[in-house]
Amino acid sequence: MSDDLSPLDRDGALTEAVAMAPTTRRALLRALAAAGLIAPAAALATPGVADAAGEPQGDIAILNYALTLEYLQASFYTEVERIKAITGEAAKLARIVGVHERAHVRALRKVLGARAVARPQFDFHGATESQDAFVRTAVAFEDLGVSAYKGQAPRITSPTYLGFALSIHAVEARHAAWIRRIAGVVPAQSAFDQPATAAHVLAVVDSTHFIVGPTQADGMPGFTG
Amino acid sequence: MRGIQLSQEPEATSHTASRRAVLSGASLLAGGILVGGIGAPALGSGSRLGDAEILNFALEMEELQSALYAQALQHANLTGELAQYARVVGGHERAHAAFLRETLGSRAKPAPAFDFGNAVTNSDRFAVTARALEDLGVAALDGQAPSLTKLSLASVATIVSVEARHAAWIRDLLGELPAPSASNPAQTAAQVRAAIRRTGFVKGTA
Repeated sequence: MSDDLSPLDRDGALTEAVAMAPTTRRALLRALAAAGLIAPAAALATPGVADAAGEPQGDIAILNYALTLEYLQASFYTEVERIKAITGEAAKLARIVGVHERAHVRALRKVLGARAVARPQFDFHGATESQDAFVRTAVAFEDLGVSAYKGQAPRITSPTYLGFALSIHAVEARHAAWIRRIAGVVPAQSAFDQPATAAHVLAVVDSTHFIVGPTQADGMPGFTG
Repeated sequence: MRGIQLSQEPEATSHTASRRAVLSGASLLAGGILVGGIGAPALGSGSRLGDAEILNFALEMEELQSALYAQALQHANLTGELAQYARVVGGHERAHAAFLRETLGSRAKPAPAFDFGNAVTNSDRFAVTARALEDLGVAALDGQAPSLTKLSLASVATIVSVEARHAAWIRDLLGELPAPSASNPAQTAAQVRAAIRRTGFVKGTA
């Protein structure tokens, strides 16, 4: 790679990365309610966005929020690997990062046990089939994952869960740097990575329309912890 | 994900916010010490470190990294993306050290003297050394972060993922896997100190 990695304009990266999709806000809200991230009433009654002030309360809710994001990432990379439309270094990344994200899902489910939220249904609207859309989406997902874990880390009570979350946080940052380099942008854009609130992260996920249904058949209903 | 964050603050502002968070965390710590009359635990005693000690520990890592990049840029004839890496990452490490030094104020320890030998004159030696120190930096911060007060943790967390990005970048440049495992192992302060000692880079306090 030449000496020309440039800062990436990440505004709208995700929305540009995905094909136009019908609005599935209701499906997303049902999924978020199932994940214990918003009140079920909001999913049923409110056509608006998820509670903007609604950070997950307590370690179990935080871990379920993390699990929801890991489900999203794991399903994304798993589908990329299954479809086999992505080539080169990006395909290698998808394979290895997919292994990591599935491991994160397994680890979180193990920690949460019966309290683990179910995997939502996803539709990636072509982002797993086009090289450019894949790379842009993966950059956005990984940077989002880093900011999401960073936003929750100081809110975690249990030192064990905190150590676990920090360990995943660093791996997500490694993924982010790797995919950014593949995208031709600076892997570490700033000296300080900023956190993101759950409200922000979920609004971004909402904007992708990637979550199309609440749960799969093998799932368990969600709890707020 | 700065571009699609709610906050569009320039970096300097966010940096100030982080500093404010740590400073108030440090004040809480200082207050705790005053009220409780408890001295800070000694380094290497195996007991939980206090915020100031952890931040000083992080500061030493940042000074070490910062000096490595500055000297390599002067003496190692770095070219191409490796030179870009050293410039960008060196700038980050200087910013981290300045941030920690300002946060610690009078409690900041003086920077030691370093001797990097051929790690700052030979481009290949530099690259493998940078990789080792970046991986070590992530493991060190992840090892200490859970012991920090929440406000300091929030601040240190803005640094640790940047170190992980550096580690991934230099590993990729070396043809190694940027993310070698699903979980990033943490190391204890004693392990990190031993690893630094083995390099022979630290020559005592300047």
